[in-house]
Amino acid sequence: MPKLIKDGAIIDNQYEWQQDPEAVISANSIVSAQKWLAEKDTLGDVAGIWLEAGDGTDILNDVDLNQFDVIGIHFPAFADGRGFSYARLLRERFNYQGEVRALGDFIPDQLGYLLRVGFNGFQFAEEVDLEKALLLHKPFSVAYQGDVADPRPIFLRR
Amino acid sequence: MYQYDAIDQQLVEERVAQFRDQTRRYLNEELSEQEFLPLRLQNGLYVQRYAPMLRIAIPYGMLSSTQLRKLADISRRYDRAYGHFSTRQNLQLNWPKLEDVPDILAELADVQMHAVQTSGNCIRNTTTDQYAGVISDEVVDPRPYCELIRQWSTFHPEFAFLPRKFKIAVNATESADRAATQVHDIGLHIKKNEAGEIGFKVIVGGGLGRTPMVGVTISEFVPREDLLTYLDAIIRVYNQQGRRDNKYKARIKILVKALGIEEFRRRVDAEWAHLRGSESTVPMSEFERLASFFTEPAYQSLVNQPEVLVSKLADSAGFARWYERNTFEHKQAGYRIVTLTLKKAGQAPGDATAEQMEKAANLADQFSFGELRVSHEQNLVLADVRQDQLIELWEAAKDAGFATPTLGLLTDMICCPGGDFCALANAKSIPIAAQIQDTFSDLDYLYDLGNIDLNISGCMNACGHHHVGNIGILGVDKKGEEFYQVSIGGASGHDASIGKILGPSFAQEEISGVIQKLMQVYVDNRSAEERFIDTFRRVGIAAFKEAAYAKTN
Repeated sequence: MPKLIKDGAIIDNQYEWQQDPEAVISANSIVSAQKWLAEKDTLGDVAGIWLEAGDGTDILNDVDLNQFDVIGIHFPAFADGRGFSYARLLRERFNYQGEVRALGDFIPDQLGYLLRVGFNGFQFAEEVDLEKALLLHKPFSVAYQGDVADPRPIFLRR
Repeated sequence: MYQYDAIDQQLVEERVAQFRDQTRRYLNEELSEQEFLPLRLQNGLYVQRYAPMLRIAIPYGMLSSTQLRKLADISRRYDRAYGHFSTRQNLQLNWPKLEDVPDILAELADVQMHAVQTSGNCIRNTTTDQYAGVISDEVVDPRPYCELIRQWSTFHPEFAFLPRKFKIAVNATESADRAATQVHDIGLHIKKNEAGEIGFKVIVGGGLGRTPMVGVTISEFVPREDLLTYLDAIIRVYNQQGRRDNKYKARIKILVKALGIEEFRRRVDAEWAHLRGSESTVPMSEFERLASFFTEPAYQSLVNQPEVLVSKLADSAGFARWYERNTFEHKQAGYRIVTLTLKKAGQAPGDATAEQMEKAANLADQFSFGELRVSHEQNLVLADVRQDQLIELWEAAKDAGFATPTLGLLTDMICCPGGDFCALANAKSIPIAAQIQDTFSDLDYLYDLGNIDLNISGCMNACGHHHVGNIGILGVDKKGEEFYQVSIGGASGHDASIGKILGPSFAQEEISGVIQKLMQVYVDNRSAEERFIDTFRRVGIAAFKEAAYAKTN
């Protein structure tokens, strides 16, 4: 399987992002949240679930998210910024502690923003050079707003 | 004005370095056209008809003379020695080379300027009243609040890829709304409640473009400490629920309209319930810190209407006209607010040459504590001019082409760059402005007509705000030919309204004749002292329509 960036390092990907609703699900699968919600009683163990842009996070309100090792968020297009809010909500409102993984069509130049809203795993398109992407990991050393890592805005830090 | 500290400076410098690398990778074909697009847009860089266009932010319209000199210098060395001041307190350069843009940004950073988020689907430059801080009837100076919003919106990690662009404007006076807040995605009116606490009336869902709308009030009073969490709540709802399937339906106004304001408010309040009181609640110390950058300059103790001014007003009709039109009452006795108009006949509205920028900078140093403002109507403002120095300033302003005494009149039009520069435009707009300026060159007649907002856009993106002009002119394309649709009855202040289309569009050469006919209807129907817009609202469109389309033989 292709590698991914997680917590600032290039590692082997141990989970399979399962987009095909008919595919066989295993304990290594990241299965769509909609499918998991519909079939959770029969699916068995999975590594995690993934949200489609448009799903919103409210569908997970009654779910114990910390049963998952990973929650994926799909970017159908890199300019579709819904996933930025989803990640932040998973971290700040649902207090989800596991991996939040960006999936799909996002680009290395978005890493600075993605990290700040709580993503820590990045499964890039195959053609992306991960070594080069890593260089774009932290474009700014300071920030005005609070974020997932440090909720204090600049006025509490100046 | 606001002064960067080490953190602000570091951020703009890191942004320059980031963009330099992005530009290099684009030119090396490591970044695709499609990937580079939002990255360059978020740095104000468009690819336009003939060359890239770089939009430089002038946050809430404040400029030091040093900054304006730098803009002049950049326009001379990297462009064609002029720039265009836009309606949203930006300066646009029309001919920079893509390869030079990182260097331009580096030079801007040297004077605490940038092009961050001046374009793209993110939170844009926040705008406000060009008379902020110097007029007597404002609730408080809005500029510290604008700076707070500037910082909060800059590189906001959650909101850099919104469904569409997002514009915020702030107003703090009951008597006027010079920032057109009701036609912004969010309009903020600073208020004091009965307890004397400062807060914001929040208006949401205004905007122009294809589907013009006046915004609606979502909250009558958000306490100032809650401003950022409330903005976060609104934009978080919009980011998740705004339409992304159709760029023409993606603005927040469409979401607000589709849900209705009650349901939209309910969703925002539900979001805000989680955010209110969090770390983003602004402490008093921060308001005090920001306000400390906008203290009064060293005013002298002077009287209003000094003798030298009174006698000149009596002696010189030209000076009196300029004083009457282009200067405005100041809260401090002995001072006056002066607008340097960029509407000289023969010059595109809002354009300033490098030489003019330098002259304006010199005038600011000589007469106004080294500071200037940029106005929504595409003029420059010297906010703190001694009344006993107005004559000297007037002479210098005439010399530089800044003293056209038409502020607020028909020929002080707002005009987008149009088809001469803009790749989006369906028609040219600058020649229309020139035609009207030529036709209405008689100052006595213009004065008799009084305050009229005339706004010209070269396409329905409405950069020239034609919908909210008392008279609006929109360039349209008909089978490859340029025509112009005329609307009347728009307004952008507290009485904001969207203009009504008069009827079929006109050929370019007909426009000034049509405007003349509309003016005649106004003159024939007005009661004493009645503004054009009020006459229109009273008598309705029919008489204007009939006159505009009447055959002349």
